[in-house]
Amino acid sequence: MTTTSHPHRAPGRRRLSAAAALGAVGALLMTGCGDADAGATPTLTWYINPDAGGQAELAQQCSEESDGRYNIETSLLPRDAASQREQLARRLAAGDTSMDIMSLDPPFIPELSEPGFLSPVPGDVEEATTQDVLAGPLEGAMWKDELVSVPFWANTQLLWYRESVAEAAGLNMDEPVTWKQIMDAAREQDKYLGVQGTSAESMTVWVNGLIKSAGGEIIENPEAPADEIVIGMDSDAARKAADIVGTIGRDGLGGPGLPTADEGASMNQFQSDDGSFMVNWPFIYAATAAAVEEGTVEQSMFEDIGWALWPRVDEDQPSAPPLGGINLGVGATSEHQELAWEAVECIVQPENQAYYFVSNGNPAASEAAYEDPEVREAFPMYETIRESLDQAAPRPQTPYYNEVSTAIQQEWTPPASVTENTPRETSAFIEAVLKGDQLL
Amino acid sequence: MSTVVNPNAPGTGPREAAPAPVTGRRSAKPLMSDRARSERKLGWMLAGPAFIVMLLVTMYPILQALWDSLFSFRLTDPGNKEFVFLGNYATVLSDQVFWRDLGVTVLITVVTVVVELVLGFALALVMNNAIRNTRGLLRTAILVPYGIITVVSAFAWFYAFDITTGYINNWFDWVPGIGPDFNWFSNTWSALFVIMASEIWKTTPFISLLLLSGLAQVPSEYTEAARVDGASWWQRMSRVILPNMKAAIMVAVVFRALDAFRIFDNIFIMTQGQYGTETLSLLAYRTSIGRLEIGLGSAISVILFVCVLLIAFLAIKVFKVDLAGAGKGR
Amino acid sequence: MSTKQKVGWAVVSVLVLIYALFPVLSILMTSFKTPADLTSGKFLPTQWVGENYAAIFVGSARDLFVPSLINSIGICLIATAIAVVLATLCAYAIARLDFPGKKMILTVALAVSMFPVVSIVTPLFNLWRQIGLYDTWPGLIIPYLSLTLPISIWTLTAFFQQIPWDLERAAQVDGATTWQAFRKVIVPLALPGVFTTAIIAFFIAWNDFVYGIGLTSTEAARPVPAALAFFTGASQFQDPAGAISAAAIVVTIPVVLLVLLFQRQIVSGLTQGAVKG
Repeated sequence: MTTTSHPHRAPGRRRLSAAAALGAVGALLMTGCGDADAGATPTLTWYINPDAGGQAELAQQCSEESDGRYNIETSLLPRDAASQREQLARRLAAGDTSMDIMSLDPPFIPELSEPGFLSPVPGDVEEATTQDVLAGPLEGAMWKDELVSVPFWANTQLLWYRESVAEAAGLNMDEPVTWKQIMDAAREQDKYLGVQGTSAESMTVWVNGLIKSAGGEIIENPEAPADEIVIGMDSDAARKAADIVGTIGRDGLGGPGLPTADEGASMNQFQSDDGSFMVNWPFIYAATAAAVEEGTVEQSMFEDIGWALWPRVDEDQPSAPPLGGINLGVGATSEHQELAWEAVECIVQPENQAYYFVSNGNPAASEAAYEDPEVREAFPMYETIRESLDQAAPRPQTPYYNEVSTAIQQEWTPPASVTENTPRETSAFIEAVLKGDQLL
Repeated sequence: MSTVVNPNAPGTGPREAAPAPVTGRRSAKPLMSDRARSERKLGWMLAGPAFIVMLLVTMYPILQALWDSLFSFRLTDPGNKEFVFLGNYATVLSDQVFWRDLGVTVLITVVTVVVELVLGFALALVMNNAIRNTRGLLRTAILVPYGIITVVSAFAWFYAFDITTGYINNWFDWVPGIGPDFNWFSNTWSALFVIMASEIWKTTPFISLLLLSGLAQVPSEYTEAARVDGASWWQRMSRVILPNMKAAIMVAVVFRALDAFRIFDNIFIMTQGQYGTETLSLLAYRTSIGRLEIGLGSAISVILFVCVLLIAFLAIKVFKVDLAGAGKGR
Repeated sequence: MSTKQKVGWAVVSVLVLIYALFPVLSILMTSFKTPADLTSGKFLPTQWVGENYAAIFVGSARDLFVPSLINSIGICLIATAIAVVLATLCAYAIARLDFPGKKMILTVALAVSMFPVVSIVTPLFNLWRQIGLYDTWPGLIIPYLSLTLPISIWTLTAFFQQIPWDLERAAQVDGATTWQAFRKVIVPLALPGVFTTAIIAFFIAWNDFVYGIGLTSTEAARPVPAALAFFTGASQFQDPAGAISAAAIVVTIPVVLLVLLFQRQIVSGLTQGAVKG
């Protein structure tokens, strides 16, 4: 985004542009050269997903460290992943030259990479930024065996539990537990399980985690063109997943709010007296600590929180916890691709990831960040998070992820409606949508 | 928005015998044809810009949508753009999602318009008969829902009913079926109930103002005469007032129906169309902007447009509603 | 009026007031709740806090809300001004001049006002991205004209038809120049109509959501209704109900002010032609 193409800027940004213009004038005076742009620091726009301000801080920090080589401005994307993708895809398709750096949700990256919207990762950047990235996030950054974005932070779901409930149910949480065990425990103790049953991306996260944990795949040939994609949901793994989702829905184990529960709603329920076990991202730990400080949640509740790896589907097969996070990509139409990659390299340094982890609660993708004493202090479950990230499985990587995910969200909600036929129906539905025979 | 039974319907109003042309262009020439010609020219010079702007901002896009709807075109797959002629329409019209959404749209339209008509009429009667010092207050109050942003109204209703942030469940737990555990947005009917309630709340004021002006048009001699004849309140309503307001009611209904048919904002905020609450507008939006399927989405847009045209056509031809003589804007 | 009737009217008036204002009160209360209080299941906050307002004006949501508020105000004012100027010329011609096509212009305005916005947002997006209007102020102002122009033309035409234009000639007979007659006689008569039209057009532009989410993508042009969908809590997974409510109240204030100040004009504008004045 150049200054001239947007005459109507918000005042904050106008001040920035004014500062840049002043800088340009200064440079002009010093060099006595006629070109007004010479000497001006190029401005890189970083499209960020909402956070607690950490990305803006890192942008400023890296701008300062660059010694005037570049200046990063941030621009906020919508709250949910699907809308973020929508905005980015539309801008990229429009050939917008301001798409310098983008915070990308991994499952949507193939769709942007396939038509060549993303600038290829330069070899030296790849080497510098992927050395100590954990296995799960690294896998999520690849498309067709190539690195197409750089992991910035990585998210994974843990199994959070109330120690008192687990104890009352007689569960040994030092050993891996299964979905069946926590469902039985919640039923016996008359408590609610925390799962996300709303028709949103979180539903796909859950379904994918279950199917992968049971050894299945949602898509068998994710790299195939739309009309040749084979959906692998007509499988035993998917039917096991359907059994878990459907039972939780029908037996009311997820509580009355289940059909509209997102991550925040699950957390609220977990904090209440009905809480027992919950699969959720680590943000809930910081958020609950904040609620205790505010006086709205009892300290005793906070001390009752335990954590473990995501529950297993099969007793003897390790679970494949959901993987989330953000990768950084550079637009193929950006005018400053080299500088943008330089900035990306600065942003994803392990110490920045550690800082971001502590200040914003978003786990690092870099292994080294987990050695940081501050991380270890703020997130006592760092060991579990790292282990979970190593085990985590990405959601299906396909340029048609949006269709696949939306179809799953429609077919698998409300959870109580999920039966053993749901997986087969979902398969047929997705294939019909991808062939263009059916609306979504 | 519409003017009801406008005696000076624009374009048809009585003209002065000797038209007085615009200030500053007064010509002493007695030649009528010259004068008429210059008036014609001036008329178009003044009205032309607005006319052209209106055409440009709507005709161009709808023609473009018509063209785009003939292609299979996905924004993130520009290489595979392909001419499919009416293929997109076949896909849409043969899909039950489309028919379900059409059904939901029609249902919302019918229910909200009927309820609004009754409620709006009651409000109009209250305002019409209110004593002078409360009339202004009442009118001010009901203009608040009219002026409020639809998205804001949607959030207000959503937060009141939502199972985590709401208080409605606590207030109404004496109603059978409602209790702390009732999740309004988890099934089609209760979600549609809240959606329609918010729509009705927001748009009834408009309909009641139209009906109020219709009420004012009923000659008071008629009602007085009926009263003298000993007609009951109900008889005066059904025999005198309502028949005399027929035109006003029809116009109000048609405008509201066309507006309700395009319902989008509050559903987008409250349910995003999940659990069977999706309407045609949402489907069009989700397909062309959410999925970036420009071709398919354009086809739905065109169908939506045709539906609106059909309603207007039916209103004008079958029910003989004089929209052009009476109506203005939404 | 008997006491009984008075009591009856008081009850009815209170009912209407509750009907009209309750949802606004509801979101006002939400805007004063703490994050934890949001789930209390109560109408009133248990503890009144201003932190949500702080969040949108000086806190974490500032960069999201303040630019969008400026965008909304600027874009809506400009769109309203353009619409009113064009519509004034157009309505004047229709009310005062005899030329063919008058009826057609009014019919087109009517048809445009019935247009499903969703149908034109996608083609506009495609055009805007090609000519560089995507995510800019003009990129929203132009489509807003499709919302504000038709209503302005209809309202103003109805207003202008009620102006006793003969006064103008009478003034001229009394020795006023053409310009004086126009300025001293016609302008004062026409101004209230223009002003009322401007308020109604502003309401309609202020209410837009579909263009706002479809044709913008950054704070460069994003208006408030679209920005409301972007709020987040302390983390991206937490409920932003408090901040959204506070922002919702802030954008409702101008509406309430306009309604309080110009109730009579708005009502007459909305029903113009039916009730005189």
